Amino acid sequence: MEPITALLVVVICVILGGEFASIGVHLIPVGGAPAAMGTATGIATGTIQLMLGAAVVGLFTASSVATFTNSILLVSLSGAVGAMMMMGVVMLMANIIYAFGAGVVPVSGRVAVDPITRESQTEYKTPQTDGHGVPNVSYISGMVGALIGGAGGALMYFALLNYANFPAGVAGIAAISIFVANAIIAAYNIGGTIEGFHDPKFKRIHKAIFSSFFVSLFCGVLVWLTANLGGLL
Amino acid sequence: MPIEVVLLFAWMLVIAFLAFIACTFEDLESDTGSQSNPNSQVQLAAQVGQVNRFFNKAISGEPLSNAMYSATAGTVAWVLLQKFEPLVPDAKWKVAILAIPLGVLAAAMVHVIFATTAHCGRTAAQKRFEQPIYLDVLYGHLLPIATHGFMTTFCITSIAYIQSNIGYLAFGLENHPLNHPFALPLLCFIWGITVGSIGSSTGDIHYGTEREFQDRPFGEGKRVVYHGKITRYADCGIRTQRDIVGFCAKFGGPCTGLTFGLIILFENYRTLVGMRLGGFLSALPAITRPEEMFILAGDLAAIWGIVVGLLIGIALTAGNMVLVKWLRKRYGPFVGV
Repeated sequence: MEPITALLVVVICVILGGEFASIGVHLIPVGGAPAAMGTATGIATGTIQLMLGAAVVGLFTASSVATFTNSILLVSLSGAVGAMMMMGVVMLMANIIYAFGAGVVPVSGRVAVDPITRESQTEYKTPQTDGHGVPNVSYISGMVGALIGGAGGALMYFALLNYANFPAGVAGIAAISIFVANAIIAAYNIGGTIEGFHDPKFKRIHKAIFSSFFVSLFCGVLVWLTANLGGLL
Repeated sequence: MPIEVVLLFAWMLVIAFLAFIACTFEDLESDTGSQSNPNSQVQLAAQVGQVNRFFNKAISGEPLSNAMYSATAGTVAWVLLQKFEPLVPDAKWKVAILAIPLGVLAAAMVHVIFATTAHCGRTAAQKRFEQPIYLDVLYGHLLPIATHGFMTTFCITSIAYIQSNIGYLAFGLENHPLNHPFALPLLCFIWGITVGSIGSSTGDIHYGTEREFQDRPFGEGKRVVYHGKITRYADCGIRTQRDIVGFCAKFGGPCTGLTFGLIILFENYRTLVGMRLGGFLSALPAITRPEEMFILAGDLAAIWGIVVGLLIGIALTAGNMVLVKWLRKRYGPFVGV
């Protein structure tokens, strides 16, 4: 591949991957520290930590799949499904601990009625809390978010591996790093907790998409420079 | 089915079991040191006048600290493997028996150093709230922290070793061994992040919502007015983290282990099932295959893997919907004050 063509392809893939990561982070239900006390809806950990955990599971499978297929679509989808599965099991088991360890019903604190299942939420919520557990709307939002985020991570890995000709290990580390940069921007935009697409904070997503574009652009050019100056192209 | 393929599936079960052990101990280790999210309450307790005997080590988020221990163990183990494997070329696994525990031991030492500095630093910063550094609490918790961390890191390093060496098992595919493309330390890093991420997001709930506020009403989310007012007294005497670990080991820890075990099992099995259905594994003994056949089989394997993964995802979503519906019916609306 010509260096200029490689520049275009790598930058486009990295920007797409970065944007996917940013959108994915906005969709997963993150409750942060309050969720560990059942004071907020969502999963009881930080935004970046959760999304990174899901993305690296996807990346593990994607890197395996990349050894026996040359299709960027299949590798990205493999990563997406891996991240989705990780998020699905985590949210389900979190609900099981909420239910049988703390006796709490999963309930949204931001909406009175679940937008997907139409189940009422308010009367199940503990007063002076912002909801607890992972209700169905947040669960589905989280699955979709992990799917998109995982696809972003795997897409970047594939681009770095095949278009920038990085060795597999370096491509993995670089993809994780670019992913984290975009996830951090999204985490700042969220500001701690978010329940999913139905949360009012989700409307701020355009700011993160705008910022992620420039960060990913910078990362993409940097990747190309590294590959070019390192003699990989 | 060729015996090599059966053995591959069996190895995946071994990996899933190791993952179960790893994440169970990871959650219990975080409970022992009060790391991660419920630590905010231990930190807050002294500030609202609740002087306590809890161990207070929030080194960093669990994924990052576990990635550090695992990557340290993986790197040391990898260096030892590289150094000593040429000495026993016919039985390289013998080196692993020496290298993995030594690598994990190095990581455990780093872990104890961080636990000591984190606890002393955090508690010393609370001097203005009259929170003392209890030396018996410090000494009494370091060994449980190190041993629980050792178990986690050992299992993670073993998983990474198996995955990075599984090509030895698939000896029939000399043109395309099944080793994972990532090196042992990078696999340790990846699984370290994942194990911490899961331990932080599921296991903490049992500690934070239930055990940390055990003298508050059961069956409700913990209200903001309770924050910082943690349960400081045990069944007998004053509570420390050693009372908490035994409690969380009955439910929160195994649930967390099951989470990671299921994830690893689903991920590996769907890849292997995809490879089997795509015709990728059926030709294990065949060494020479045309390139086009290889690509076609690889694509099919990936497609089957994705389809199986999506089916599992749909099943998980349906499972959550059934669980939530059952809970709403069983527990009913909130009736407290």
